[in-house]
Amino acid sequence: MSPLELATVAKAMEGLGTADQVRGNRIKVTLQPGKIKEALAKAMNDLACDHVVQISALDNGKAFELIYHLTGDHRTVVALAIEIPRDKPETPTVSDVLPPAGIYERQIHDLLGIVFVGHPDLRRIILNEDWPKDEFPLRKDWKPNPDTYYGGVRPEAK
Amino acid sequence: MTLSQRLANWARVKSPWITLFNSGACNACDIEVIAALTPRFDVERFGILAVGSPRHADILVVTGPVTRKQASRLKRIYDQMPEPKYVIATGACGATGGVFKGLYHIVDGVENVIPVDVFVAGCPPRPDEVINAVVSCLGLLKEDIAHGGKEWRKKKAPAPVAAAKEAPAQAAPAPPVATAATQAAPKEASA
Repeated sequence: MSPLELATVAKAMEGLGTADQVRGNRIKVTLQPGKIKEALAKAMNDLACDHVVQISALDNGKAFELIYHLTGDHRTVVALAIEIPRDKPETPTVSDVLPPAGIYERQIHDLLGIVFVGHPDLRRIILNEDWPKDEFPLRKDWKPNPDTYYGGVRPEAK
Repeated sequence: MTLSQRLANWARVKSPWITLFNSGACNACDIEVIAALTPRFDVERFGILAVGSPRHADILVVTGPVTRKQASRLKRIYDQMPEPKYVIATGACGATGGVFKGLYHIVDGVENVIPVDVFVAGCPPRPDEVINAVVSCLGLLKEDIAHGGKEWRKKKAPAPVAAAKEAPAQAAPAPPVATAATQAAPKEASA
């Protein structure tokens, strides 16, 4: 299969976001809010993206940036970028249409506290089980509290 | 000391068995420790033998910073080892946490979880340094046998603080312990 053209992606994503060729064979689509499920369905059906490379998540201080990196037999990486407001960190899950995305969503939920609405099993995956709730170490405003027990060995049990 | 004890101590000093535990290392220290065991450095000619189970080991070699998940496992492995047991913490990470110090997922150095006898500097330490650490562990072992346990080393460290607080009359008994240590060590070596 030949690589995807920017025009093809822009046509498929019309009304959902703006496509941009960031590098050779890499196309980034900046989505409007709340369009991730539609855009993902378009990417899977019209652009033959059947493979999720990863979901990257970033706290830029103002909002959470999520980028869904997708690819397929055409070997072009289509990146769907969304922003999630910090005061309401919620986004619909895509694990129902793309099951491998579920494990990335668990990881992002664990470290950044973003809730993927509809995810069947948002358990911890990276942090230790006795890590306190409502503490998300990859958020930029997180600082370890010296009085909080974060797991591992308790100071008196040395 | 009975004959069987003396025999056991002799065997222990001549052939220390070590076990390796990765508490969250990047694998560089592990590679160096493994290199010390393989034919180039060949520690088995000194009687140092790597065993698979902590229940058979005299010396525990811990590599890397201790992650929060590994901390309880490290404690359990240490508890499984038979006395007398010694711990070597390798590398900058094993001593303080190294580049990972203060991160959310680790409890920094090995000493935050279990008592450590020997620290090895380096990132990673060379196999020679690992061998040197094992040999200095044997030195400690000999001194501990002479003192009848590890307690004498613990008493030594906080002595200056206690001496400053308390009356000089109470601080006086501390020096004879140190002299006894220096006297006992050559005696043991000659025996």
